[in-house]
Amino acid sequence: MHILLRAREIPDIHKYDVYVKNGGYKAFEKALKMKPEEVIDVVKASNLRGRGGAGFPAGVKWSFIPKNEPVKYVAVNADESETGTFKDREIMETNPHQLIEGALICAWAIQATAVYIYLRGEFWDVAHELDKRIAEAYKAGYIGENIQGTGWTCNVYTHLGAGAYICGEESALLNSLEGKLGQPRVRPPFPAQKGGGLYGEATVVNNVETLTNVPWIINNGADEFKKIGTENSAGTKIFCVSGHVQKPGNYELPMGVTLRELLYDYAGGPPEGRSFKGILPSGGSGPVIRVNDTTLDAPLSYEGMEKIGTILGSASVIVMDETVDMAWAASKIIKFFKHESCGKCAPCREGTYWLDKVLDRIMAGQGSLDDIKLIETVAKNMQGVTLCALGDFAANPVIHTVKQFPEDFAKHAKSPENSKSKKPAAKQKAAAGD
Amino acid sequence: MSDTVKIYIDDKAYDVPAGMNLVDAAKMAGNDIPVFCYHPKMEPVGMCRMCLVEMGSIQKDRASGEVLLDDKGNPQIRWFPKLQTACTTNVSDGLVIRTNTPQVDQARENVVEFLLTSHPLDCPICDKGGECPLQNLTMEHGPGSSRMVYSDKLKLDKHVPLGDLIFLDEERCIQCARCIRFQDEIAGDDVLAFHERGRSLQIITNSDPGFDSYFSGNTADICPVGALTTADFRFGARPWELTEVPSICPHDAAGSNISLSMRLDRDHGGRAIIKRVMPRQNENVNEIWISDKTRFGHHFTRDEHSRLLCPLVRRGGNFNETEWKTALEYAANELQLAGGSVAAIAGSGMSNEDLWELRQLVTGLGGERLGAWPPTHAGADLVAQVGVGQGTNLGDLGKGDAVLIVASDLEEEVPIWRLRIKQAHDRGALVVVMNGRPTRMDDFASTVIHYDYSKAAGAFDLLQKEHGDTARQLTGAKNLVVIAGAEGVDLAGSRALMQAAANFLIESGHVGKPNNGLMATFPGANGMGQYYLGFTPEATQDIIANPPKVLFIAQADLLFDDPAAVSWLKQVETIIQLTLFAEEPVPGVTAALPIQSFAERDGSFVNGERRVQRFYTAQGPIGQALPAWQVLNRLGVQLGLGRSKLSASILMNEIAQSIPAFAGITYKALAHVEPQFPLVGGDDVYYGGTAYRNKGGLGVQIPAAADNGGAVTKGKVEKPAAIKASGGQLLVVPATRLYNRERVFRSSELVHPRVPDAYVAMNAADARKLGIENGDMVSISAGGSTLKVRAHVNGAAPQGAVILPRHLSDTPAPLAITAGEVSKA
Repeated sequence: MHILLRAREIPDIHKYDVYVKNGGYKAFEKALKMKPEEVIDVVKASNLRGRGGAGFPAGVKWSFIPKNEPVKYVAVNADESETGTFKDREIMETNPHQLIEGALICAWAIQATAVYIYLRGEFWDVAHELDKRIAEAYKAGYIGENIQGTGWTCNVYTHLGAGAYICGEESALLNSLEGKLGQPRVRPPFPAQKGGGLYGEATVVNNVETLTNVPWIINNGADEFKKIGTENSAGTKIFCVSGHVQKPGNYELPMGVTLRELLYDYAGGPPEGRSFKGILPSGGSGPVIRVNDTTLDAPLSYEGMEKIGTILGSASVIVMDETVDMAWAASKIIKFFKHESCGKCAPCREGTYWLDKVLDRIMAGQGSLDDIKLIETVAKNMQGVTLCALGDFAANPVIHTVKQFPEDFAKHAKSPENSKSKKPAAKQKAAAGD
Repeated sequence: MSDTVKIYIDDKAYDVPAGMNLVDAAKMAGNDIPVFCYHPKMEPVGMCRMCLVEMGSIQKDRASGEVLLDDKGNPQIRWFPKLQTACTTNVSDGLVIRTNTPQVDQARENVVEFLLTSHPLDCPICDKGGECPLQNLTMEHGPGSSRMVYSDKLKLDKHVPLGDLIFLDEERCIQCARCIRFQDEIAGDDVLAFHERGRSLQIITNSDPGFDSYFSGNTADICPVGALTTADFRFGARPWELTEVPSICPHDAAGSNISLSMRLDRDHGGRAIIKRVMPRQNENVNEIWISDKTRFGHHFTRDEHSRLLCPLVRRGGNFNETEWKTALEYAANELQLAGGSVAAIAGSGMSNEDLWELRQLVTGLGGERLGAWPPTHAGADLVAQVGVGQGTNLGDLGKGDAVLIVASDLEEEVPIWRLRIKQAHDRGALVVVMNGRPTRMDDFASTVIHYDYSKAAGAFDLLQKEHGDTARQLTGAKNLVVIAGAEGVDLAGSRALMQAAANFLIESGHVGKPNNGLMATFPGANGMGQYYLGFTPEATQDIIANPPKVLFIAQADLLFDDPAAVSWLKQVETIIQLTLFAEEPVPGVTAALPIQSFAERDGSFVNGERRVQRFYTAQGPIGQALPAWQVLNRLGVQLGLGRSKLSASILMNEIAQSIPAFAGITYKALAHVEPQFPLVGGDDVYYGGTAYRNKGGLGVQIPAAADNGGAVTKGKVEKPAAIKASGGQLLVVPATRLYNRERVFRSSELVHPRVPDAYVAMNAADARKLGIENGDMVSISAGGSTLKVRAHVNGAAPQGAVILPRHLSDTPAPLAITAGEVSKA
């Protein structure tokens, strides 16, 4: 069953006519007949949680928006830059009108004056297509002035970023949207508060996947939505499976499906003759897990992943088999974060640079066991003290790979004898010099 | 509700102002929370993470508001699971923080360790060494040794000129963005930015020329490391070798409080010279900021090549160097021969004490006319009447208040006022700018009114007749300050404008109270002192019209300021000139007597807010120069007109006895200091930067006549006939540029690249009519002089007028607006 990837069943649903023929914009029309608060109540009741990674309840977020402010915005987070994530792109390419409809329902619910769809810079072709779909919705009277005779005016724009991971962080996204350097802001005030959002106005920032769920919820009701998935993780989720599986790709499945089901039943298992070693269930930013029966049987839900020491995040499931050296994987991920740290706050800026330097040394066979301890403590010192979550994310690949796969690191380290023999030698030299 | 809240720091309770930033509140409570990016004058950004503390709040019952207690009877505290940045927290009742726990210690150590990973180990040659927040906080909180392998350190460019005046050492920079934020939030010149991201993040300048701001030097003060250094001071001395001497900026009416960092210098014969000029905190005057002219315009004090080193007297046709004794005897003799027709013209760089002695001498010789130079700005008497009330602080102006700036290019005339009013505008004050052309202040104005220069003297009529809404907003403001210049008006026009301004303030009741009243951009440091000591521009005009037999010219560059001076000075028989500079003596001068600069002696100035402020002796004299008051006193003694005076402070006592405005003012009173907020300037340079704590005195503000309930009445505005250009002429409007070729600024070579070549700004329509293109050399004949300058054809001038900056070429521009011929040269 597909709520989001409906193109799998209805091939041309990206086209306006086909979308409308299949019930498109009915949810928006229905929402427009409801009071904005009622729409928020339905979304709240559905327990739809943010699909961007944090899992914050969407309806609750919408309800934070102050009622009396004249200007409010919806910012759609289509930055999709988490490593291994490619779900929003498929939604926007194959089911764009449902995203537009979801964003419009959100806009109505908070009485926004404009919707900005912020896409990562590399998505220029997606944005170009999306612009055409937006134009169709304008033509149909779903966007623009006096929408469907309600007297409410709302415009929808796409905006391309310049290609920065950090701009997927909501406050950095807003800075970038304003034309400023993409760096996170101090919160509070939060985007949903006056002073914290786009141009200082209260703003809902929601992920593409989150908003694309909304038309289905309005059409079918909160209770129907909650029937899908688990108690705490309602609905379906698109799992972006990449790496060492037979059939990588997007799989939209109800929350709570186990890793074993996802990887074996849907993704076809590991390549011939190999076995799974480690999984990053939420891309490079989340804790890695070692594959065993316990982890394989863990349900893919916010709470299920937490139980095995990782996070669901945006569900970009990167699978690594026995051929992968986890120290190498960690060094690559750290390179990514070093490249993507915005540099605003010290622990992340300096920590990612430092970790990268030491990991390079370790991978070149020049590191010692002390260096492995060093990267562990440096990574731990980065956690919990940074301005935004990137500092925590960037530390994860080191902390958890070292914890789960210490042997992969140890084998790169110079033998303890070697590294130990060096220091006394130096001392002797100094002594001789005296 | 009280205005204070109770917070708990390390289990001790403190009452602090509600809503105050936690770092500031802790500082007041005596707890130094270390910071790098936070600065008490700027918005917090939470970037460096140095200020992490354990934070919680005392739990209260929602319904009753009662504090909830645990089983032991202690208040229940809900702690944040993670450490929080103090700088992004404003205090609220029941806030609890702990700053001395192992977790906090560890976090601080970790942040310092991170900051040091790529920081170079060049403290021994770093300008900041000894007053460096990073150095100090490393000693206090940092790890004892480095875990960063030396070869892993980032190697970056160490000498990046951001502009002519400021250099960036990319390795030392810790990306705190204080400089970027200062330029944006405080200066309003957002010419710095971050480039790239992550560890590649670097400060860049996005202006051309680089770092195009009159306030750039302040960024070096607040830089928490040695990343930003000034072209003036870098590699020049170590902070601990310097002796700090309190002083006052000699350049403009703001009277910025400064500290002269003195050191003996090999290249200057082992004498003490000014190694750098630093701000000295005076929250009422310049806070902790100074303009780059204040900071970099001090080199004349040490310049033996441009200064007059010994007295010169004219005997027969020869102009000879001589001893003081001979020179004074000779001058006295000449004065006696000349009889009673004596007058004086004094520049606005003369201290009150100098002016007092000059006045004593001239009146003693039977003279009456005391002229103020330059004779461009009238109405100091009105500032004395309805000037800003005692206790005025431009830093208090905000929402509901208003500032009107008229006939002034404030950024060029008094940059610190421009900076402070920009911030008042940010705080919500209504700022109205009226001038005949666009100026930088327009960027920070709520309303801009451009008038025709021919109507400049009647600007207030125009305001009330054609901009009634704006006029009503101004008169209806809670507090109103009017700042008037004299651009586009002659002296009579200036008087009319000032009188109209005074009337406007009196009518709307904005006089006699703090943050209300009149200010004027008198040129130089002591425009108001000239008035109080009896020197007026009207007297100067009278002297020009009817030259005396004997004229004292004291610290006034007549020939460079006024094209007409050459001719009228010829009618004076005897000229006694007191001057700093060897090239300044006017033709035919009888005696040229070298005087000391502000750095060489004690004295006092009265700033545009009527604050009497004293400056202290910082260095020995250049050559045989004496303080001007001493030269005049000795001359008086020689003439039998008085007795010898020993010090400037004694002169101030005499002034206080004779001139009511100075009643009660003594050097001791001027040296009085009180604690100021923010608490900057101590050893804790991490907090506010290297602005100095004020140890030299906050000064004493002379009450305006309207203060303390004094009655003031409106005066008649006598508008002179409009100055009009006809018959193919254009109005030539002299204007002020901060960086120019005035003699006091010429020795500051490092600023030369920023001094514009002589130019005239003209409108495209006028240029087209005259066949002039942008960049052409043009000839301007006006006010008795002909200047050849380059034409800037742009929107800086309105149609029918050209803007001619003064003091950019060796030929003087007219003193005041006049009609003139403009043609292609």
